[in-house]
Amino acid sequence: MALDTKVPMGEPEAMRWASELEDVGFVRRILMARKWYHADWWFVTISAVMVVGFIVLALVPQVFASFSPQEQVGPRYLAPGESPDVEALIAPVDSGFSTVGDLAVGERISVAVVMGEPSSEAVRDESDRVNAAFKEQGIDAQVSLRIERYETLDAALTGILDGDVAVAISSSKAFEELAENYPTLNDVGPVAPGANTRSFPLGTNQLGQDVLSRLIWGTRIALIIGFSSSLVSLFIGVPLGLFAGFTGGKIDRALTVLMDSLYAFPGLILAIAITAVLGPSIFNVIVAIAVLYIPTYFRIVRGQTLSVKESLYVEAARSLGAKARVILSRYVYPNVIPSVAIIFSVNVADAILTGAGLSFLGLGLPPTTPDWGIDLARGQETIQTAWWLITFPGVAVMLVVLAFTMMGEGLMEIFNPKLRER
Amino acid sequence: MHPLLLTFLIIGVPAGIGLVYIFVRGTSSMRRYIVTRIALTLPMVLILATLVFFVLRILPGDPVTSALGPKGSPEVKEQLRENLGLSDPILIQYGRFLGNIVTFDFGESLVGAHRPVSDELGERLPATIELILPATVLALLIGILFGTWAAARRKRASDYGFRLYSVVIYAMPIFWLGLLLQLLFGKVLGWAPIAGRIDAIVGTTLDRTTNFIVIDSIISGNWTALGSALHHMILPTLTLGLVLSGVFVRLTRINVIETLQEDYVTAANARGIRKHAVTYRYALKNAMIPVITLIGLQVAILLAGAVLTETVFSWPGMGRYLVERISSRDFTAVQSTITMFAIFVAMISLAVDIIYSLLDPRVRY
Repeated sequence: MALDTKVPMGEPEAMRWASELEDVGFVRRILMARKWYHADWWFVTISAVMVVGFIVLALVPQVFASFSPQEQVGPRYLAPGESPDVEALIAPVDSGFSTVGDLAVGERISVAVVMGEPSSEAVRDESDRVNAAFKEQGIDAQVSLRIERYETLDAALTGILDGDVAVAISSSKAFEELAENYPTLNDVGPVAPGANTRSFPLGTNQLGQDVLSRLIWGTRIALIIGFSSSLVSLFIGVPLGLFAGFTGGKIDRALTVLMDSLYAFPGLILAIAITAVLGPSIFNVIVAIAVLYIPTYFRIVRGQTLSVKESLYVEAARSLGAKARVILSRYVYPNVIPSVAIIFSVNVADAILTGAGLSFLGLGLPPTTPDWGIDLARGQETIQTAWWLITFPGVAVMLVVLAFTMMGEGLMEIFNPKLRER
Repeated sequence: MHPLLLTFLIIGVPAGIGLVYIFVRGTSSMRRYIVTRIALTLPMVLILATLVFFVLRILPGDPVTSALGPKGSPEVKEQLRENLGLSDPILIQYGRFLGNIVTFDFGESLVGAHRPVSDELGERLPATIELILPATVLALLIGILFGTWAAARRKRASDYGFRLYSVVIYAMPIFWLGLLLQLLFGKVLGWAPIAGRIDAIVGTTLDRTTNFIVIDSIISGNWTALGSALHHMILPTLTLGLVLSGVFVRLTRINVIETLQEDYVTAANARGIRKHAVTYRYALKNAMIPVITLIGLQVAILLAGAVLTETVFSWPGMGRYLVERISSRDFTAVQSTITMFAIFVAMISLAVDIIYSLLDPRVRY
């Protein structure tokens, strides 16, 4: 990664960038991106909006998720968009019935149910509830039902057509299969009005948990892992890099060798080893991932410190008697910050990917955690039947990683105009 | 012959022949570079192995407790600790650990039939090599082809398309890509098997001498086995190769664009050489040098990706072995596998550096 901020001389555009870049500070550089890079500012904007969105999701998942991520809230293996099977009221199209309350017509009304199904209990419970509500509101009306039991749903529906019963109660799915044969009958809605609010836009998983709610709660775990591990490596890697680059000598060489070999080693494998020894917990995952990314900060910061240390203005400051502390804080530090910001953004993305990989392997996080990697690992077991269980958590990981990577790239373009030439 | 040694010979002999050839035909500075680079590999292996050793020791976990579970009695624990040599002073343990690496004797596995770990690794390593070699070739092919294509059509629709491809593929978790391919080609289309290295029944007819299934089936002339093995390789190779290719597309594109702005390209254009020839003969050749270096830097991603790909496709390689043995709390196997990975990293970066020095004669120590 070339992170030098050298600007090609001789081009008026580049000259202007160079002078303006020297004038403004860190935050203004970001804000001025649009002015400087006309077309590409949206790159940063889109990714920043996505990043902010994910952070909001992670902060208050309970606002967005309709269900608890760890409880069974519906039937198992419900496909996305598929409505859960509920006891529905089947009535003639022109009857005007749409809820159990509408059945309070002043006389006893006969209702068809299929034997052995929970329909009669559902409609009794609901009529009791409706009658109680009528009483409370002082309305003089009562639902009074006579339950007629039929052997099959077909027989029950024919009963409506023949005028033996007024309505039928049946599982909505069972009716759907027969609906073609009875064009004058309609599924007017669930018997219990609360039932239809339980819809699962992304389906449910093998434990009857809502996939969407788990995805939303998963954002929290992903961002906690991404941010904390990156922050830990930042707070260790940057000072080490500054120190090594600034002092040089034997300590520098030893640190560089150590960091280079850590950098060369496949990060995930080291993380696997660390979490295997430490045992499963989110804290241990953060530690394991943080160790991996220390060298990334160290290498960049050390390299930049070295080059800044050799520059003329530092030499001038030193000859004027500036102390090491002043040189570090006034000259080295400001030069290092932009690249650290870029690495941090990309680093969060990498850490999230590694964390998802770890939990996919079944290491690191306790198995009940609402985490995307865990969901994907579980989804693999039912890949033949439930495509939605492996699709959506993967999309979530990809979007988060994409947002943070794109933000890093956008920042890089802002701080390094030369790259835009590419 | 020991399976691990055999694997090293299969990889090492062609590499050695190549090395001897370079040595005989090359210039003296190239010879000096190669000798220095090989000499530098030893300390690198030593540092990586040391890192592995101390990471596994420093961390506040206890392999004996995790192997036996909380119910293990103190006597049994002490016995196991004694057997593993964990009660010795740390420096003695370290010395023995290094000695084990030199002799390729990693001790016995703590679970199952208590086979020597090196025997098990000897069966697993070829599987991993058979996965990452074709995947790297695939990634390079895609990377060079698409990267150059994008560079030649800069700022046009196809360029943006390939850039988007490289960003998206980088952001995809590799195991998820594997799952999607399984879903698409395995389930919906039914084109390729989604697990294992070879069909179970065909596999019993194959003599495993080298544990490289492709080599074994060619040696024994078992073409059914070869077909089955290649069929099983499709999806894992595609998964690993595609994920790696993103970075290669990106880097090839940047480098070709840069070289296309060089004076000699302008000169070639001025002489009326066809654009196609300029792009592929002049620019691509020079743009390849940084791409080759990148292979060296991608080793980490490659091996981490291999672990995940092996898990998704039940590919019996080193990565899956590592994950399995972690679940069964086999400390000996875990430590040895990670050490093998370290040696692997050092070897690949050695190979890449030597290839690099052949391509770019300016690189010298």
